[in-house]
Amino acid sequence: MLTALILADSRFPGGGHVHSGGLEEAAARRLVTDEPSLESFLHGRLLTTGLLAAGFAAAAARGEDLELLDLELDARTPSPAQREASRAQGRGMLRAARRAWPSARLASLPASPHQPLVIGVVVGDPYEAALTCAYLAVSGPASAAVRLLGLDPFGVNAIVAALPVEEVASRACKELPALGSPALDLLAEAHVRREGVRLFGS
Amino acid sequence: MKASARLVVELDSHGNSVVRVLRSQAPLTLVPARRVGPVALVHLVSSVTSPLGGDSLELTVEVGPGASLDLRGVAATLMLPGPTGLPSSSSVRFSVEGSVRYLPEPTVVTSRAHHTAVVEAELDGHAELLLREVLVLGRVGEPGGVLSSSVRATRCGKPLLHQQLAVGSPLIDSSPAGLAGKRVIGTSLMLDAVPRASDGGEWWNLVPLAAGGTLATALGEDVVTVTRVLDAI
Repeated sequence: MLTALILADSRFPGGGHVHSGGLEEAAARRLVTDEPSLESFLHGRLLTTGLLAAGFAAAAARGEDLELLDLELDARTPSPAQREASRAQGRGMLRAARRAWPSARLASLPASPHQPLVIGVVVGDPYEAALTCAYLAVSGPASAAVRLLGLDPFGVNAIVAALPVEEVASRACKELPALGSPALDLLAEAHVRREGVRLFGS
Repeated sequence: MKASARLVVELDSHGNSVVRVLRSQAPLTLVPARRVGPVALVHLVSSVTSPLGGDSLELTVEVGPGASLDLRGVAATLMLPGPTGLPSSSSVRFSVEGSVRYLPEPTVVTSRAHHTAVVEAELDGHAELLLREVLVLGRVGEPGGVLSSSVRATRCGKPLLHQQLAVGSPLIDSSPAGLAGKRVIGTSLMLDAVPRASDGGEWWNLVPLAAGGTLATALGEDVVTVTRVLDAI
């Protein structure tokens, strides 16, 4: 459990803080402006991309073939910007994990693996891996919303605490999901095309 | 109602794509066009109101090496609830060694409908597939029903695209990280050797897939706008 807590900690040096999970683009378009619209964004993200990522973390933790999981997750991530964000965060997490929790399975991962696979291998327990991944799918965008929109950190924290993260993690342990989010894909690609100052990498 | 239909298209010795097997079962009625040429044209006609709740429909399509098939719809599909409250399901399975363009008309998920749609396509090394899907959440003035629509395409067993779209869950439908409250979702999957650069606008984009092929996605308020975006790509 401690490993899962360390990975989910915002002070973990995996580079996750530079990603907003589409929140920056959603805020720039004024699709997210306040606590209710943030709550809606986080619900949608958790139930689509969050469930998908958690499912792959659980599968990696169960010991399934990592190369096959990598191909399957690519096939479920049509947006190149989303694939790159997942692999950039996987790369950052892998760098820290190789020092902290070295293992043959971790060493077998490619240089830029999808982040859910790193989480699965490091955490080892399917449910804890899924829970870590599902939580990270919403905690990053939530803290980005505080920085970008100046929302009340206490209000945002209460929204995150009320999200059905555990329920999503349980569902993610049952089957390999394939749920897509068309709007998140569009936001991720538009974020890459956006000119001018961007605070986040995705 | 349970129904299964099968269509097999092969290349003949004159270089024409010909329909070798055509097995219809209402409501899945296959109508081949009376013409001879390199591309076989077949219309998929729903000969009975369908899908209603409780219906289970299966269509299998095989296209041999060098053969080409255009499979088109003739009218929009209305997904409706049945008298029993049971969900309905449909599946289309493609086995492609030649080339297929599957262009059904838009599908309207009416209020209280509950449907699961599956499209699976296995392509060989040089096969090509174009797949268009336009979904409409509800008729005018009504909320949409519940639909799970999934597509899985593989080439020589390797996954190219696997996407499930779930509509009818208010938390996802209205979310800026779900369907952003849009009523119409259009996708166009192009699995071929044509390289296409990433492109996009506010509510549409064109992206290269990791293992080859391109996916276009458009969200909008009406079918005309979404179809126009997909046609322009």
